[in-house]
Amino acid sequence: MRPLTLRRLLLQCFALLLILFVVVVIAIKFGAVPVSLYALGRDLWNVLLHQRTNISSDYVLIIQNIRLPRILLGIIVGASLSVAGTSFQALLRNPLADPYVLGVSSGAGLGAILALILEPHLTLSPVFAALLTPLGAFLGAAATVAAVYFLGRREGQIDSTTLLLGGVITASFISAIIMFLMSTLTGNLRGLSFWLMGDLSTPLQKSVYWFLGIGFIAASGAIYTTASDLNLLLAGEKEAMHLGVDVPRIRLVVYIAASLLTGLAVSVSGAIGYVGLIVPHVMRLIFGSDHRTLLPTAAIGGAIAVVFADTLARTVVAPNELAVGAVTAVVGAPLFIYLLRRRLA
Amino acid sequence: MIFAAAALLLGAAPSRAQGAFHSSPASPVYREVTDETGRSVRIPQPLRRIVSLAPSLTETVYALGVQDRLVGDTEFCDYPPDAQKKTKVGGAINPSLEQIAALHPDLVLVTKGLNRLETVHALDNLGIPSYATDPHSVNDIIASSKKLADLLGVPDVGASVAAEMEHQLAALRQRLASSPAERVLFVVWHQPLISVGKHTFIADALRYAGAVSIVDAEQDWPQISLEEAARLQPDYLVFAASHSETAPPGLEALSTLPGWRILEAVTNRRYAVISDAVNRPAPRIVAAIEELARQLHPEAFVEKPENLNEKPAKEKMDKEKTEKDKNEKMPLPPVQPPHSAFSMLSGVLRSSDTVPGGRACAR
Repeated sequence: MRPLTLRRLLLQCFALLLILFVVVVIAIKFGAVPVSLYALGRDLWNVLLHQRTNISSDYVLIIQNIRLPRILLGIIVGASLSVAGTSFQALLRNPLADPYVLGVSSGAGLGAILALILEPHLTLSPVFAALLTPLGAFLGAAATVAAVYFLGRREGQIDSTTLLLGGVITASFISAIIMFLMSTLTGNLRGLSFWLMGDLSTPLQKSVYWFLGIGFIAASGAIYTTASDLNLLLAGEKEAMHLGVDVPRIRLVVYIAASLLTGLAVSVSGAIGYVGLIVPHVMRLIFGSDHRTLLPTAAIGGAIAVVFADTLARTVVAPNELAVGAVTAVVGAPLFIYLLRRRLA
Repeated sequence: MIFAAAALLLGAAPSRAQGAFHSSPASPVYREVTDETGRSVRIPQPLRRIVSLAPSLTETVYALGVQDRLVGDTEFCDYPPDAQKKTKVGGAINPSLEQIAALHPDLVLVTKGLNRLETVHALDNLGIPSYATDPHSVNDIIASSKKLADLLGVPDVGASVAAEMEHQLAALRQRLASSPAERVLFVVWHQPLISVGKHTFIADALRYAGAVSIVDAEQDWPQISLEEAARLQPDYLVFAASHSETAPPGLEALSTLPGWRILEAVTNRRYAVISDAVNRPAPRIVAAIEELARQLHPEAFVEKPENLNEKPAKEKMDKEKTEKDKNEKMPLPPVQPPHSAFSMLSGVLRSSDTVPGGRACAR
């Protein structure tokens, strides 16, 4: 492994950001309503020059109020899921760990649904009511990680096959509870079934974007402080402890932060699967498995993947929309099988 | 960097609502109304550009004669045929927000039973006013049409549409006065068997047609087991067929499906197939109600009294025969391919409060 220099890290991130920029431009250009690149550039130029009068109203309407917020949401959700996936992979020492595969996304979904059910029964100020769903999703995610972790332990060690099986079973158990809740409850739950598939189409309040952004920076920042310890943890918990790593503390920090990232992402976008699995894998292939490089590159890679998948979801059957979770699953599931088989071989 | 650029672009819009409102300078007048879900909505007056997100609302707009102001509707808005030519904004469940926004509507019409709450929230965020209807009975449909007419500035047309509906229903009630109600099972979807709950306008429409649903569920779209249906043994199975459906298998297929023969209505082929207008809370539902009444109670529509001299048993056989003939010609609706988004979700959509399959789209 070549020694990590700040210059190399920045260069790698810059290259990925360039790709993200191209994907964002593609995402801005394509959609149900055609937008020409020339008009886009002109409007962008006017925005930068603060010449508001020259901006076409369609630009404000379509690009600024609909596509950009959605792209921004895709960036945050993709980065969150990808960083969460990378962290779970290190924490559980299993490269096939992913919030979706481990059932953590389902757990977060259940938490969010329970919060939605509880909300009318609690008298909360609007600010707290808005935070209730993310909070429920976070608690659901955290509880599921804990459950899967204990299911996956055999004789004090994490057994990777048992862990994956435990995750899959937990996910199907939680899905059954969600189905049960949805078939017994009355009310407008049609939206929920759409949301469960993974959906970025609903624009959110501006404050939610701030909340998401701050949550992402705080949680992924916390994970990044443990990056070099995570590298040592890959060698084994005992080995890391002998090398002076405070394993229980690292585990707790990563566990809480990664659950928070998953909960945040799921509460706004539902269960978008496989991003947290595929992206870290690709980044590991390109940049190596040093977490100091892997975490930031996986974050940007996750953003690229989700924005791109969402652009497909918006355009393939336009003016109808696919759930973005369906797009990521179509690509992700076969890749998962491939990785699983290669590992077992 | 991207974050910064995006934040800059987002931040550069201090007045988001300004661009989203298509506020023509000549009409700065707004009207505050409460829609049928209890939301207070600020609506520009007069309304020049409307987008409808439900086939029933599109039909109502046409019935009120203000279709010129309809600038967009959904892919499922197929009646009247002219509605198919309007700009499509996607499906009712997953419309394209940007397509809606690009049409610069003064108002978007939605209905609680079909559209998603998220769509309404999204429109709110974009500063596009939306008005929701929520009819649960035939009377609600009449009242709802009147309110829409009022909103659209054509109260006179609304009053006459409502009067015509009421007149037809009154005439029907008179005809059916001496006919006992038939116990029916309204089949929304046949695999799994899904019917209508008692709080739906369809259950109410059945009552107007001289029928009573054997299903007495609180949920709007309950899944019924065949056993339960067999225990209740409906006199008739009622299906709604869309005129736009292409070549689904006939009703004959139903009796070959495993388990369905335990229903006497299936072995006796006592089916009633009516227009899918019954699925749409719009003025045309009255025609569908009458259509059903004619099939369930042909005796009430016989003008010449001498026909009644025939023996009841013979009459019944004739009745069944005509129905059978009719049914062979009529396509079986529930076997239509469901809308793509739904087929993916079919597992999730077993839920009681989701409108199952293509039926949802037909509404």
